[in-house]
Parts: sequence; structure tokens; C-alpha cells
Amino acid sequence: MVTLEEYNSTEKPTWCPGCADYTILTTIKKTLTELNIESHNAVLVSGVGCFAKLPYWIKTNGFVGLHGRSLPVAQGIKLANEDLTVIAFGGDGDGYSEGGNHFIHACRRNVNITYVVHNNGVFGLTTGQYSSTSTMGTKSKSSPRGSIEVSFNPIAVALASGATFIARVYVGNPSHCVDIMKKAVQHNGFAFVDIIQPCITFGKNHEYYKDKIYIVDEKYDWSDKSTAFLKALESDTGKIPCGIIYKK
Amino acid sequence: MDSFVIRVGGEAGWGIATAANLIAHIFIKLGYHVFSSKEYASQIKGGHNYHTLRISSKPLGADVDKVDMLLALDSVTVEKHTSYVVDGGMILYNDSIEIKDTKSTVTYVPLPITTIQQTLNEKNIANTVFVGAAIKSLNIEYDVLKSVMADIFNHKLQLLDILANAAHTGYDSMEKGVGIGLSAGEKSSLEFYNGNGAITKGALDAGITFHAQYPMTPVSAILHDLAKESINNKDLTVIQPEDEIAAINMALGASYAGSRAMTATSGGGFSLMVESVGLASMAELPLVIIEGQRPGPATGLPTKTEQGDLSFVLSAGQGDFPHVVIAPGNVQECYTETKRAFYLAEKYQLPVIVLVDTLLAESFSTIKLSNTLNIDFSQRFNIIDNANQYQMKNGLFMRYSEDNFLRTLPGTKNGIYTCAGDEHTNVGSITEDPTIRNGMMRHRMGKLKKIEEELPVPELYGSINADMTLVCWGSTTSAVMEVVNRLGTEGKSVNMVHMKYMCPFHTSSVHDILSKSNKILLIENNYTGQLGKLIMEKTGIHVNDTILKYDGQPFTVDELYNLIIQKW
Ligand SMILES: Cc1ncc(C[n+]2csc(CCOP(=O)(O)OP(=O)(O)O)c2C)c(N)n1
Ligand SMILES: [Mg+2]
Repeated sequence: MVTLEEYNSTEKPTWCPGCADYTILTTIKKTLTELNIESHNAVLVSGVGCFAKLPYWIKTNGFVGLHGRSLPVAQGIKLANEDLTVIAFGGDGDGYSEGGNHFIHACRRNVNITYVVHNNGVFGLTTGQYSSTSTMGTKSKSSPRGSIEVSFNPIAVALASGATFIARVYVGNPSHCVDIMKKAVQHNGFAFVDIIQPCITFGKNHEYYKDKIYIVDEKYDWSDKSTAFLKALESDTGKIPCGIIYKK
Repeated sequence: MDSFVIRVGGEAGWGIATAANLIAHIFIKLGYHVFSSKEYASQIKGGHNYHTLRISSKPLGADVDKVDMLLALDSVTVEKHTSYVVDGGMILYNDSIEIKDTKSTVTYVPLPITTIQQTLNEKNIANTVFVGAAIKSLNIEYDVLKSVMADIFNHKLQLLDILANAAHTGYDSMEKGVGIGLSAGEKSSLEFYNGNGAITKGALDAGITFHAQYPMTPVSAILHDLAKESINNKDLTVIQPEDEIAAINMALGASYAGSRAMTATSGGGFSLMVESVGLASMAELPLVIIEGQRPGPATGLPTKTEQGDLSFVLSAGQGDFPHVVIAPGNVQECYTETKRAFYLAEKYQLPVIVLVDTLLAESFSTIKLSNTLNIDFSQRFNIIDNANQYQMKNGLFMRYSEDNFLRTLPGTKNGIYTCAGDEHTNVGSITEDPTIRNGMMRHRMGKLKKIEEELPVPELYGSINADMTLVCWGSTTSAVMEVVNRLGTEGKSVNMVHMKYMCPFHTSSVHDILSKSNKILLIENNYTGQLGKLIMEKTGIHVNDTILKYDGQPFTVDELYNLIIQKW
């Protein structure tokens, strides 16, 4: 049996106290442990951003590459050795802006990896500029009069690009995160999980998300693509549905 | 005469390349060396297209300004190339073309292409009719052509029938002529490759298992050939990703996980890869990158040739980082140096760039695949599958050690570490500690000295203590060497240095050679003399006499000869 301790690193994370990335770190450890994956057979791949330091702080194989480029690296790893459990990480800046092209094509390519995006609606590491998933009108250092761009909808883009597993979770519900993450890792194909998270230093707090977040009910049919599209578009109107949105 | 030149021209899509390929293999079968270059516009159908074959007793790698036999499938070929045909030369042409000004010193032979096509009730056979006629006029037996065709079209028997018939009709329509007047060598095991093919072959012989490439002229053929190879080669994964950044990062991921990985591109695509070259250096990942130069900047002249990216690839990345840059000087070296690139990349865990250009990538030469590099690629270099002995107290593997270059692959028990683009400790943890930073910089940069010691030093070719020393690199090397030989037979005292290893650079050997030279003349296919700048930087020797060309065309031997004579 694999234990959680096996994944404990001796290094101490340097994220802000109270950062949601700690919860995601625990989510990943629990996921791997509960799926009984031995630490030497997992690979965590990331890019650059606050989120991207996660592999440094779990005792398993890690690859911390360049801003926006975790997906091609992760696909290369999986193509080279299909026995490895490969999880790639992105940020909303890293994965949806800098690496947006890789996201679209990884969805189409359907290589059997998991892609987790820490979506905090802000560029954390570069101290708080608005990001592609900030809501329109967001004021930040780089958008002092409010951003004028429509917010990026990763769920709809993943659907349109042919991803075979698409889910969204909210970091404020850790057990739901672990539950969905396990399903994503077990999915045979490209599994995409967008994790909505606050950024307590530069972005929105839990209070902001509280009334917007909800988990899709049991009757929701995630196998139907048109239904899934409607669900995906809901987040444009203010509500943020979580859970498996689409699965093939 | 040291070579016999046949040029075949027509419209793109008419099988000009096939005709050239047939003629080349006929002469190879007879024991000759062949150099074959092509010239075309960036246009798929309809543009003027020609191939030039230089047949010789010894290996050659450049064109000359004369043509002994012109095969003109269309009128443009006659208009554009008649002036190059030598006195006593021959022009075979499609008899439906009207020849206006004939050259009295040249024999014109009309071929009844239209009649033959009607009689045989076939279109698109003009190319083989020309080949049949050409070889008869060169006193070569039809059987040689027949067996070459059987080799080339062995999967397409119906087509073979049609083409053989056409070639035979062309053969019969011609008077028997005299031979090319050059002695053949032994019917040895010469192979006919272009640079792309030689690189592909070198990669395969070095055990490549992963190739990711976004198409770009002049190196797309590498992607095509490896993709085809991967159908039956279970160990080889080939992928065409969304862009060059994906290509190099996929290759790095695969390399990290244990593949022997390669990517290929031209200057534009390499520009996109630059940040990731640094990642390979920092994370210490083996990677072979083929950079096929074409004239820039931007889209430039996409189908032409230039040596304009040397300075760029040498400095392609932020910070000080170790990487290797090798510039093969001919097709033979494309093969050998690609193998060397795989070896160095894996052993020293860093990116190795093999720098070629359109001329080298696309022109064919007879080469030997004999093992000039004695490396056993069935073994892995510096990869361990038992890491117990290298455990740190925190249970991680000591991946980045100052003393050795050992690595584990993911999946190895006790082999866990972080492969990091951030500055890192010996287990790959992120750090900003100045002492560790210093150690890691020395560790990474120290690779270059070790590699330099492994690489063959540059040698002087030609007479010692010569009046003039020619300095060149890459695809211009063959033309320069031929000029050196020609000047030598004329009694002129000249020698040359061909620079192959650009980084690491053999500073002291180059300094030794050049500081003894009486007059140095730099020859490059670019505007600024980029090798000259490198030599200046490394040795302090300023080469101020240059022959530079940047019109998209390679030097011909005759052109270069004349330019050098003017400098005497
Ligand atoms: C090529 C490149 N461009 C820009 C940066 C600077 N940079 C580092 S992190 C970052 C944005 C981080 O935002 P996000 O991906 O959302 O991650 P977060 O910090 O919010 O977790 C940027 C722009 C970089 N490292 N590399
Ligand atoms: Mg962010």
C-alpha cells in the first residue's frame, strides 16, 4: 500500500500562508496515494507561476520547465513511457495565455495524461496583473481602468477542441477536488481539470466565489456534448458549475 | 576535364527529379561519384525547375558553371541554360519546342516526345524518354538503365512497365554516342544521400526513438522520412505538433523519460525554440536539434540557401549556457556528425545543434556509410537504473552532481529528483543560494572543456606555409576544397581550414594555424562574415579579407575560383 508519507517532501513550500495551492498540493498527494500509485512511477510537470512550484514540494518525479510549456513536455514524457502516470499543471496565465495553443492541441491529441490548471484569475507570481480568466472590468496594476477583454472560457474551449474528460472543481471543497482528480487520473485519455482558486494576495477571495460555485446535480448528463456546452457557457453568466462537465 | 555535367530542366510536376535520380543511379552503378543539386522556386506546380548532376571519378560537393549535356523538357530550359553549354556539348530537346538562336558549337538533338506519347498512348513519360536517349548518346547500355529503374520502382510494377517502355523508346530513337570520358571507380558500396537523408540515416544509426518536428523548408524531408520509418519501427515515435515550441518541449519531455530525441527546423522555427534550448542546458537534458538555414530575416528566401544563422545559434539563449554547435561540411559529415551529436547529447546531457543549410540539406552526394565514428549506440551513456548509491538524506537522487553526469529515468526506484528549469540543488530543488549557484554554473559550463577535448581538431588542407589560407565552414567547404585543388595543380601555393565545431571552439588550434598564415581569406555564404566574427572573438585574429555572398545562391567552383584569383 502506498502511503501519504511516501509523497512527503522535506522541503517547505514558499507560497503565501493560506494560499489555495497548499490545498491542491494535498489533493495531488491524496489522489496518487488513494490510487495506489508508487511515487517513482508518477511524474508531475509544470511551467512557471506560483502554482508551478508544486512539483518541488512533493516527493515524486518532477519536471519544472518553462512558462506555458508543461503540456508538450508532459505529452513527450507519456509518449516515451506509457507506464508513467503523468500530471501536467498550468496556471491561468501559464496555461491559457502563454501556452494556449498547446492547450487546444493537447485536447485534440488525447494523449493519456491529466492536465490541472490552477485558475486564480490573476498573474500571481508577477504580482497581480489581470489574466485571461479575470472577469471583464477587473482593475489591476496592468489594467488600471479595468480590463476590456472577455473572460476566457476554458471549459468551452476544451469541449470545442475535442477533450475527452473535462471537469471543474473549487478548491474550497477539498474532498470534491480529490474525488474528481482521481477520476481524471483514471480516465484513459486527455483529462482536463480546471481548479477555481482564490488568490488571497492579489485576486478574489472565498467570499467572492461562495455564491457562484455549485456542483452539478446527479441527473446532469455529462456524456452529452450539447448539454455540456450549455453548462460550459453558464460561467459566462455568473454561476460556476463544478464537477464532471463532459466525459466521453 | 574532372567532371561531366548533365542538367535536366522543365516545369515543376514533370518528373524532373525522377529523371535526375535515374541518371544519378545509372552512373553510381557504373562506379562514378555523383553530386546532384536542385534549384526551384517556392511554387508547387508550374515553376521552372532544374537539377544538375556532376559526374566524376572522385567525390564532389559543389556545382560548376558549365553544362556538358542539357536535357530540355521545355523552352524555358533552352532559354535559360544554353549559355552554360560548353563547346562540343549537346542539347536534347522536346521537338515541339522552337529553337530560335542556335549555338553553332553545340549539337542539338530533337526528341519526338509528342509522337512517342501518342504511339505509346501515355502522358507524363517525357522524363524517362529523355533519360533513355541521354544514356544512349553517352554510350551506356540500356540494361543498366533497366536495372536501375527496377530498383527504384520496385513497388510500382505497373508504372515500371510504362516508364521502362518509354525509356526504351527514347533509347532507340537515339544514335549511339561516345562515353563521358572519365574513368569510373570500382563498383563500390557508394550510397546516394542528400543532407536531410544523411541526417535521418545518422539519427537512425544512433538509435533515435523520438522525433518531433513542425514542417519547414529545407528540412521537412527529415520529418517525412522518419514518419515513414516509424510505420515499421516500433521503437520510434514521430510526431508533428502544433508549433516549434511544442516540438522542442515534447522532445525534451521524451528525452527526460529516456528517449533518444531530436527535432529539426529552420531559422524561423528555431527562433521560437530558443527559450527551450536554454531549458535543455539548465535541466541537463540530451537533445539533438537540426537547424537547416535558409536566407532570412523573416520568411526571407524560403527555398534558397544561406549560412546566415551561425551567430544566432551560437548565442541562442539568455544567460551563459552550454550547448554544442556542429556544422557539417558535406553530406558525408551530415551522417557522421548527426551520430556524434546523439552521442555528445546523451553523454553530456545538453542540447547539440547540427547546423546545415538548404544547399547541404537538399543536394545529393555519393557517400560511404562506413563507420567513421566508433560508438556503440546499443548502450546508454550515463543512465543508471540503480540509484541506491546516490541517495541524499532526504531520500532523493543526487541528479545534479558536480562530479559526474549520471541520471535516472522516471520510473526508477530511489531515482526521484526534480528536473528543473530554475536554478537548483543537487536533487533539483529550487534554490537561490549563491554558493550552490556558483557550483552549478561551473558544473554546467565545465562540460564544454570536456567536449572540446573529445572533438577532432581542425586541420590545414593543402600546402604548408602557403601564400594564402582560405577559411570556410559548412556547405561552402566542398567548393573551396575544389578551388584549392585546382589552384594547387596550377602551381599556386594555397591551403584551407574548414571549421566544423563552432561551440566548443578549438581556440588554440585555430589560433596556431591562422597566426602562421601569410594571408587569410574568409569565404562565407552570408553578409557579415559570421565565422570571421567568431574567429575574432575567440582568437583575436581579425580576418579582413572576405568573399561573401548572400543572394540566395551557393558559390559555384568557377565563380569562387575567379573571385579568389582576384584577391591574389
Ligand atoms: C516566457 C515568460 N514570460 C513571462 C514570464 C513571467 N511570468 C512568470 S509567472 C507569470 C504569470 C503567472 O501567472 P499564472 O500562470 O496564472 O500563475 P500564478 O502565479 O497565478 O499561479 C509570468 C507572466 C516568464 N517566466 N516566462
Ligand atoms: Mg494565476
